[in-house]
Amino acid sequence: MRIPLLNELPQGPYYGVLAEFATPADLLHACARVRDEGFTRWDAHTPFPVHGIDGAMGLRRSPLPWIVLVAGLTGAAGGFGLQWWVHASAYPLVISGKPYLSWPAFIPITFELGVLFAAFGAVIGMLALNRLPMHNHPLFHSRVFERVTDDAFFISIESWDPRFDPSATEKLLESLGARSVELLES
Amino acid sequence: MTSEHDHVVSLRSEEATIPPGHSWNRIPVIGSACALLGVVGCAILGPANPKQFFFSWLMSYLFFLSLALGGLFFTLFMYACQGGWGIVVRRVCETVFATIPVMATLFVPVLFGLHYLYPWSVPGAAEQDALLRWKAPFLNVPFFLIRAAIYYICWSFIALFYYRLSRGQDSTGDFAVSARLRKFAGPCIIVLALTSTFAAIDWIVSLTPHWYSTMFGVYFFAGSFIGFIALLSVVVPAMRGAGLLDTVISAEHLHDLGKFLFAFTAFWAYIGFSQFFLIWYANLPEESFWFKARLEGSWEIVSLLLMAGHFGIPFFYLMGRAVKRRGWTLAIGGTWLLVMHFVDIYWQVMPTLHPEGVRPSVLDIATFLAVGGCFVAAAGWLMRRQALVPLRDPRLAESLMFENA
Amino acid sequence: MAQTEAELLDNPVEGNPTLILRSPDFHAITEVVAETVERPTPIGWWIFFIPSVILLGLLGVAVSWLFWEGIGIWGLNIPVGWAWDITNFVFWVGIGHAGTLISAILFLFRQKWRTSINRSAEAMTIFAVMCAMLFPGIHVGRVWVIYWVFPVPNQMGVWPNFRSPLLWDVFAVSVYGTVSVLFWYVGLIPDLATMRDRAKTRVRQAVYGFFALGWRGSVRNWNHYESAYLVLAALATPLVLSVHSVVSMDFAVSLLPGWHTTIFPPYFVAGAIFSGFAMVVTLMVICRTAFRLEHIITLRHFDYMAKIMLVTGSMVGYAYATEFFTSWYSGNPYEFFTFMNRALGPYAWAYWIMITCNVISPQVFWFKKARTNIPYLFVASIIVNIGMWFERFVIIVTSLHRDFLPSAWGYFSPTIWDISCLLGSFGLFFTMFCLFVRFLPMVATSEVKTVLPQANPHAGEGAERQVGDYRRATVPTHRKPAPGSAY
Repeated sequence: MRIPLLNELPQGPYYGVLAEFATPADLLHACARVRDEGFTRWDAHTPFPVHGIDGAMGLRRSPLPWIVLVAGLTGAAGGFGLQWWVHASAYPLVISGKPYLSWPAFIPITFELGVLFAAFGAVIGMLALNRLPMHNHPLFHSRVFERVTDDAFFISIESWDPRFDPSATEKLLESLGARSVELLES
Repeated sequence: MTSEHDHVVSLRSEEATIPPGHSWNRIPVIGSACALLGVVGCAILGPANPKQFFFSWLMSYLFFLSLALGGLFFTLFMYACQGGWGIVVRRVCETVFATIPVMATLFVPVLFGLHYLYPWSVPGAAEQDALLRWKAPFLNVPFFLIRAAIYYICWSFIALFYYRLSRGQDSTGDFAVSARLRKFAGPCIIVLALTSTFAAIDWIVSLTPHWYSTMFGVYFFAGSFIGFIALLSVVVPAMRGAGLLDTVISAEHLHDLGKFLFAFTAFWAYIGFSQFFLIWYANLPEESFWFKARLEGSWEIVSLLLMAGHFGIPFFYLMGRAVKRRGWTLAIGGTWLLVMHFVDIYWQVMPTLHPEGVRPSVLDIATFLAVGGCFVAAAGWLMRRQALVPLRDPRLAESLMFENA
Repeated sequence: MAQTEAELLDNPVEGNPTLILRSPDFHAITEVVAETVERPTPIGWWIFFIPSVILLGLLGVAVSWLFWEGIGIWGLNIPVGWAWDITNFVFWVGIGHAGTLISAILFLFRQKWRTSINRSAEAMTIFAVMCAMLFPGIHVGRVWVIYWVFPVPNQMGVWPNFRSPLLWDVFAVSVYGTVSVLFWYVGLIPDLATMRDRAKTRVRQAVYGFFALGWRGSVRNWNHYESAYLVLAALATPLVLSVHSVVSMDFAVSLLPGWHTTIFPPYFVAGAIFSGFAMVVTLMVICRTAFRLEHIITLRHFDYMAKIMLVTGSMVGYAYATEFFTSWYSGNPYEFFTFMNRALGPYAWAYWIMITCNVISPQVFWFKKARTNIPYLFVASIIVNIGMWFERFVIIVTSLHRDFLPSAWGYFSPTIWDISCLLGSFGLFFTMFCLFVRFLPMVATSEVKTVLPQANPHAGEGAERQVGDYRRATVPTHRKPAPGSAY
């Protein structure tokens, strides 16, 4: 499911609907209902990761570990390759009687570079998958949304969604036990 | 807090024992049959080649002993760390290490072969060798025997203490038992660490009495631990496959076993590589000869096999999430690592006997059957007469409902 | 309070111990942690900050004089070519390891109690690594060509020696510093968002907001975030083991008796964790009182930390015993002499300080009373760190000052500049830590919230899974993971 790029925000008069919930349990049940209703362009927002919410939203597992694996292997191969080239090709020197391609001695740096590249892969991959940094987002215009990083839980459904209807979607979220529901302008 | 711990979840004991008529009831018989076969084989082939017999016996013996010691370490760690997930598998661990008294009797043949196995035990050896003279206060037969006795007394005491108290809790459900076992876990780990280190030095390192390595105790521990986790990774899915505990042990527990297997594969490789690497790098003849013997001729192939097979392949195999959560894929990993652990012990012990190269012998198989048969028979017999899960452990409920986040 | 807290500990049945006391709600957690940053600077902070800055100044002076005049201002001589410089390096790198262990390894072991201390511990790691990197950097002599350690193509066509442990150090410690910063920063993002949303001034909102990257708590984001966090934890674990192993290899790959011994890698790692936890205890005792966080950093946390210190201290003791035995067993007269010399020679005073501080003093941690006694913990943690500094000193200097050839024997004494560099490094460390505590939330609020009972969406449902009725149905056998559930 595509997340819109920065310049692909909803075009209509509304961004979407934002509903606030009191507890993680409320949010979880509401998410399951929203998922079952067939919405696709929506998201939940929490101050901390809630156990089981990925399932309630129908999210798939992140592909990040694969990115990290590839990055790590690249780093390790690069590190080993660099040492090989330096010690067996570019400027071979006999050091402490060891062969030019003394692979045990190459392992520490190979490992370290593998980890370094993997870590960068994880962080950059995570930021890329999350489309961060995204300092400007329509949700920040809502006053109640300030509490998302404190103690409030939200569901936002974007107007992009084919099932979105300003009044019907608002009513649905109210019926799911939302503490407040807000229609956000674009 | 939640009311979980107001009640003690009680499993009915029929759900957690081997039902009568189940195929697993025959394990002791199968084990005994293998043991008998092995003993007969040893009796026939042993006298012709006593040195080979004793080396093979030592090797097979160390393999199974290391599994039992690994089990003891694992259980003690679980108590000390108050880990909740492992309680459902703890009884299996206890069954494995409760065989230690049996293993003690299986050590006796080694004592008959001391002169074949250990150069320092040959009378008059110290006269020609300055190093053996230096080490004589430690490497002499009486002290060796006393130390062996100490090891077995300590191990048997700890093993039986933990086994009996845990089994006793099945009927009483007494919280104080858990507290007591946890309290003593720390000191027991220290005793176990020191005794197993010196046992490894006595029984493996002194095969080549000129060699030494401060890491060896840790290396032996690493191998034992991963051998045991591998054993669990085979036995637990096998039990589930046989219809035992399949409602108790879930994919979550298998996942955790798999994670341990993965982590300790890497740990073993780290320890093994560190030991090799430091000796390789400094290249001092007084230490490096031990590795040199294992890098010549066909032993080099075994070394490469260990690197790739004990680390490389399992590391990538066990990385994936799905592999660890399915019984048969985990069991494949466990079986492979058990085989690799055997190769590890073989690689440690045998080059002393066969420096010219790998020389498999029928006695290897015969002794493996003899020792292994006894080990399996003992464990199987214990399994039959008790619950397969600590029925009334206060934290059993938590373990049953355990979920990987 | 302490009475009931201590009673809560060590209940063998308690699978889910109460980690946060006084039952705060989410907002209360946010408030108490954010308050440490938002309120006006307390006097106590200045009391720590000013002396730290003075010591930092001392460091600046000492290092400048070192660059100007040369390594000769230190007490180094032949045969003791390494002394306080490398001791300090290993000391600081070791301290850093506890932060990564708390963040990464305890995360992998699902130890929820880590959430109260992991942010501070990770920050401590970064600052400790900064202090550590200082020493190899300044001890080279010709600092103006320090860039030669990096594999940069140059006009001489020469490359660094990748087979040397000194170069592995460069890579290991740099990677460790980088990954620690990445891990710490990733963990900070949600909390920076919290600070941004609470900011009262434009400047604060802009700065926190910039670094918060626009985080809005989106669950889709949390999904990838959690995956990244797990991956970073899984990477940091072998990394931390490898870094101190590589540091130990500085010594272990040599030929010197007392240095060349195979157990060094895990022994050094255990020692590092030991000293690192001691430093965390020292810092947390001060911070929890100063910032009124006693209900978040509780006696239980100290109990666990003390237990880890006991475990790693025992590993260190095991290594001492093994080394000592093997020094005799090896039959190598130089090896045996080195160990005898350590205990009975000119540096015996250092050796016995080490043994007392590292082996004897942690033994009290077998007793719960000692583990939960804050004043004792504070003193003990400092004693442990003193002992661990002496351990590195003993290892390095005793093996160097009397090696193979008696005519090359010597003695090392520190000069005022050795001492200044060490004290100055503490200045650097505490200055950075004071700044951290002043401007960034020192507790990982979003993580602490996850361990509160209210955070569990199934909180009310546990009661159904009860006696005898735990039910096959609720303990599925081959349960497929819920689609999308992170690890």
